[in-house]
Amino acid sequence: MSSWSRQRPKSPGGIQPHVSRTLFLLLLLAASAWGLTLSPKDCQVFRSDHGSSISCQSPAEIPSSLPADTVHLAVEFFNLTHLPANLLQGASKLQELHLSSNGLESLSPEFLRPVPQLRVLDLTRNALTGLPPGLFQASAALDTLVLKENQLEVLEVSWLHGLKALGHLDLSGNRLRKLPPGLLANFTLLRTLDLGENQLETLPPDLLRGPLQLERLHLEGNKLQVLGKDLLLPQPDLRYLFLNGNKLARVAAGAFQGLRQLDMLDLSNNSLASVPEGLWASLGQPNWDMRDGFDISGNPWICDQNLSDLYRWLQAQKDKMFSQNDTRCAGPEAVKGQTLLAVAKSQ
Amino acid sequence: MDDVEKGKKIFIMKHSQCHIVEKGGKHKTGPNLHGLFGRKTGQAPGYSYTATIKNKDIIWGEDTLMEYLENPKYIPGTKMIFVGIKKKEEARRERANLIAYLKKATNE
Repeated sequence: MSSWSRQRPKSPGGIQPHVSRTLFLLLLLAASAWGLTLSPKDCQVFRSDHGSSISCQSPAEIPSSLPADTVHLAVEFFNLTHLPANLLQGASKLQELHLSSNGLESLSPEFLRPVPQLRVLDLTRNALTGLPPGLFQASAALDTLVLKENQLEVLEVSWLHGLKALGHLDLSGNRLRKLPPGLLANFTLLRTLDLGENQLETLPPDLLRGPLQLERLHLEGNKLQVLGKDLLLPQPDLRYLFLNGNKLARVAAGAFQGLRQLDMLDLSNNSLASVPEGLWASLGQPNWDMRDGFDISGNPWICDQNLSDLYRWLQAQKDKMFSQNDTRCAGPEAVKGQTLLAVAKSQ
Repeated sequence: MDDVEKGKKIFIMKHSQCHIVEKGGKHKTGPNLHGLFGRKTGQAPGYSYTATIKNKDIIWGEDTLMEYLENPKYIPGTKMIFVGIKKKEEARRERANLIAYLKKATNE
């Protein structure tokens, strides 16, 4: 730990090292007891059998070298366009790296080379517009990559090369308008894909094709107008599908055909006036119990005979229906304003 | 009036990947939140917390959760990948709904 202790602020002249360390620890204890708004002048360091956990928030000084047994590092709330180039040097055991809420504009391509055991990388709330090629060359162990709330307008497949073990990819809250084809083709272990709160108007039909076993797909808060019949076919074991807050006006008849275990479907706040017959046949009861439920509220439903299929389906799983009071008919005139459930019951 | 149903949807969408609320359920990436209300931080049995959360001397309730969920990172060293649901009115309501759901579901 000798290189680490060199980074601590100088103690007042003449005080012996163990006394100044005691004062330092007392300051930390005091800080964490009062602690809600007080930010320590130094990074917090916790040692355990597993290794060192270091947590730095502004105005602490970012360490220029890390203990060799560092397993967890958080550097957050700094106003930094770039990180010190060799921040991670020597921390070869690092497992988790939390870099949220800085102002990072770019990352150096070699940045992650010193940390081949990294499992989690959180870059939420920075200013990244892209990633350098080769960034993840040594990141075969990375399970979780979060790029939420950055400024990505495009996504290049090459940026993600090397992420063999990726299980969780969060690209939400960016400015993505289009996705490249074959984005997920090489992700064998991806379980969660979050593309929510972007500007996606269309999706490549082969988006979900690949060896992955997706469980969660977030597409809420985009500008999708159509849900095609091929999108979900490659992912029969999908459990959670969020499509709320788009501009969906049309869902293809076979869109949910292949799904076998869907537990949650959110289609709320779209522009659905009608849906094709047979759309719901394979979902929920009597095939399986949707463990969490579904939401089709906030749509301009036209409650005519074209919805008879939907009415039957609703009655079979109404105990799983969210927002029942907000799921209402926009027409025809005779039933305008009534809940879909009421109309379904009266059929 | 805080909306438990809306809170449940928020929980499923944004938090159920790492947390559950059912009594006796196995911890996921984050601790099982059953029994949360009225309990000191870092006390869910069998979960390995960071030292800062374990040593924090606050009791979880509506007010402390309201504050924490706006800025979880004021407990430094947390492993949570969650930057909080920020101030604006819509966000405030989202936190309130989520907390109303948690208050009910972690006590069943």
